[in-house]
Amino acid sequence: MTQTAKPVVNDRRAEYAFHDDLIYLHEAKRGLTRATVEEISALKNEPDWMLQFRLRAYEHFLKRPMPMWTDGLDKIDFDKIVYYRKPSEREERSWDDVPDQIKDTFERLGIPEAERKFLSGVGAQYDSEVVYHSVKEELSKLGVVFMGTDQALIEYPDLFRKYFGTIVPPEDNKFSALNSAVWSGGSFVYVPPGVDVPLPLQAYFRINGENTGQFERTLIIVDEGASVHYIEGCTAPIYATESLHVAVVEVIALPRSKVRYTTIQNWSNDVYNLVTKRAHAYEDSNVEWIDANTGSRKTVKYPSIYLRGRGANADIISVAVGGKGQHQDTGAKAIHLAPDTTSRIVSKSISKDGGRVSYRGHLKVAPGATGVVASVRCDALMLDDMSRSDTYPYIDIQEDDTTMTHEATVGRISADQIFYLMSRGLTENEAQNLIVQGFLEVFTKELPMEYAIEFNRLVKMEMEGALG
Amino acid sequence: MSVPPLKLGFAGEADARSIARTFKEPSWLVDERVAGAGLVASQPAETNQLFTTYLDLRTVRFGAIQPYAQTGLAEGARDASRLPAGAAAILHIEEDQVVAQAMRDDAWAAGVVVDTFENVLLSRPGLIRSVIEGGRSLPDNDPFAQVARAAATVGVLVHVPAGVELDGPIVLRWGVGAAGRGLIGRTVISIGERAHAKVLEEQVASGAGRSAPVDSSTDRQSLWWGTTEIDLARGATLDFSGEQDFGDETVAFVNRHATLGRDATLRWALASVGAGFFRSRIDNRLVGQGSSVRQVEIGFGDRAQLFDLTSYTTHIGEDTTGDLLSKGVFLDRARGYFKGLISIERSAIGTDSFLGEFAMLLTRKARSVAVPSLEIDQPNVRRAAHSSSVGPIDEGQIFYLMSRGLSRDAARKAIVLGFLEPVVARIPLPEAQAGLRALLEAKWPAPGAAAVADKAAA
Repeated sequence: MTQTAKPVVNDRRAEYAFHDDLIYLHEAKRGLTRATVEEISALKNEPDWMLQFRLRAYEHFLKRPMPMWTDGLDKIDFDKIVYYRKPSEREERSWDDVPDQIKDTFERLGIPEAERKFLSGVGAQYDSEVVYHSVKEELSKLGVVFMGTDQALIEYPDLFRKYFGTIVPPEDNKFSALNSAVWSGGSFVYVPPGVDVPLPLQAYFRINGENTGQFERTLIIVDEGASVHYIEGCTAPIYATESLHVAVVEVIALPRSKVRYTTIQNWSNDVYNLVTKRAHAYEDSNVEWIDANTGSRKTVKYPSIYLRGRGANADIISVAVGGKGQHQDTGAKAIHLAPDTTSRIVSKSISKDGGRVSYRGHLKVAPGATGVVASVRCDALMLDDMSRSDTYPYIDIQEDDTTMTHEATVGRISADQIFYLMSRGLTENEAQNLIVQGFLEVFTKELPMEYAIEFNRLVKMEMEGALG
Repeated sequence: MSVPPLKLGFAGEADARSIARTFKEPSWLVDERVAGAGLVASQPAETNQLFTTYLDLRTVRFGAIQPYAQTGLAEGARDASRLPAGAAAILHIEEDQVVAQAMRDDAWAAGVVVDTFENVLLSRPGLIRSVIEGGRSLPDNDPFAQVARAAATVGVLVHVPAGVELDGPIVLRWGVGAAGRGLIGRTVISIGERAHAKVLEEQVASGAGRSAPVDSSTDRQSLWWGTTEIDLARGATLDFSGEQDFGDETVAFVNRHATLGRDATLRWALASVGAGFFRSRIDNRLVGQGSSVRQVEIGFGDRAQLFDLTSYTTHIGEDTTGDLLSKGVFLDRARGYFKGLISIERSAIGTDSFLGEFAMLLTRKARSVAVPSLEIDQPNVRRAAHSSSVGPIDEGQIFYLMSRGLSRDAARKAIVLGFLEPVVARIPLPEAQAGLRALLEAKWPAPGAAAVADKAAA
């Protein structure tokens, strides 16, 4: 059972890290000033209320101190970031109209292929603007809206204004303020009452361009009795200097609706990924965040669900893999504000090669939220003793008939398990892979098949050589 | 969110120097006090960003409290008849007086020390100095602990020499409650190699506290502020039991900090019933290989009581064990904050660590907060886990007991007291154990009140 020598790290990430030298039609100057914010708004011909919203957010961003409860954010140099760039002039509806260079990038990401296979629609963000967008005809007929957020501001002004910024106000935190001031791109989804979107809506997000901040803003409104599954996945080219991704995602699940939001985050290891994701769940609605983070230098993200209507249900599955130089500060929040609401949080994390993973969660049962049933489960695997794993759960219960359970374990893969699998003919690496994949299965089984395969491949890639 | 430093008016550098002058303390101890005062002034009241949200001092009126400037010996305090049956020693301090001090002859003969700093500094200053110098017996990032370091006006040393197995507990009793007054003290416990001791600490309402008229005005507050600083040498064992039953108008702050040497064993059994506001922080530092700590802590709160209970367990040596269990029961508008952090350092191979935080809320306005955190740098552990739950009383259990002939209220009461029993069972003196059981039972509302609470919950 001897092991032949093999490379300690077999990182194939470079295969996915490509960078096209694009000519940007418009690029804002580096750094953030009031003029930058005004310029972005003017370039987009926005209504005055949006300009005012951006300025209010900008003022708050300046005033708000940097969060101290997680470390390393002080390394971000906001003056080095380009806050807006627009690679092509207008939103494209047909694939043929997309500039070749951009098209080539997407070809390599496999978007058209994925679309041919089964996707209902594609909204792909290339740097700061939605450049390609299509919605299958039958969805348009059903009244489903799936377009760039900028475009929705123009085409659906009333619906937009009714919900935009109501779930995550600019004042929520320093980074929601930053996003609100300079946001650009992102997806807008509206599903009318009773409509069941049969296939997942997919958006590919990419960062390209050194020091480009990406500040996408996504707004998803699912009307009464409707259902939708939204998927986002990320890749980005690798650069030596810091990149910044600060997104805000707002989800409104109206009574009896169902929303699932799936994320596979694989930013390159120089990206600061600071995201505020929050959903409001009304009566008898069902909201799920399925959230995996394998990339980035530092991710700070706690998908949240505010259970506002009686009988609403929240389900959050959070997966994090933290390798060399990475810190995944991720988790989940379930805030119970209404009676008979239920929530389940499952977190699975892996730290290795000196990486750090922190689970941070908040479970709150507010006065008036009677009959709540909630559970939290956090499991962490540490693959070596260079790495670190933290668990920071906050559990605040203010009703006496709440039933809440929380459990957390941290450990490493047992030698017994590895030995058993090796005795069945697997190599040490294969054995470890199998165990890790089993550990993460609670997540992968929730993915559409093709994503599950892709994700397993990603994990395998991450794991290769981890045993050394 | 940043928290401001503590603003007290009684733990500044000038206060520290003045107290040291009063007691004619040696210069190393003056330095200790000054260092403590510096750490109070320079740090936010909560330095751990994890817990800043759950520090609530709004009900505490520091400005209306004047701590005692010194402590004296009451007439007739040194009397063997003061020794409770079964105890090895007693030191009882009430307000600003030592009112009882006695020790069994065999303990005396074995070299056991239970005395005030004032006396020990004259006879064997090294016993204190070796444990506390440089602030090593208190967390330097906790301003509450540093207040006691800076401004204590009474110190207690418990010392059990190497190899001594002491039968019967050493009883330390503190009584406060005089309106507008406060007692700040330190307790240092040093247990020598392979020695074995039991300590029972009782925190109670003083005569003045008990006789005070019930008055809702805030200037009736009294204060108790103290420490337990434990040093366990190789192979030492300590059973430490604590009962806190201060009066309603008392606000209390306690820091308990233990450093465990090789193969040392520490067992905490702590119960909190009294005080309007009670803050406790426990630090267990498992330095020696094979050392182990077991901690069971309960809180039973009613009315507007707030129990703010934090525990830090740091695994440093190899093959150390931490087994921590906190349980809370809350009635009326009472609140319990259970904050915990287990740290497993890279050197701590073979750690077994568990932290459990469990609460029962018996009325709708009661509140329970649990933050059971883990920070792990060493994956080669036997176990690293925490578990937490909050729930109402199990209806199935109530049904079972009612089928055995108990009334609904009696069934609820039996279940709640059973939930807390694991701590009660570990109180060393039968008398003290019975006392705690009675205290918990008394806390249970009269049947009529419970029915109302039940109805409100329905």
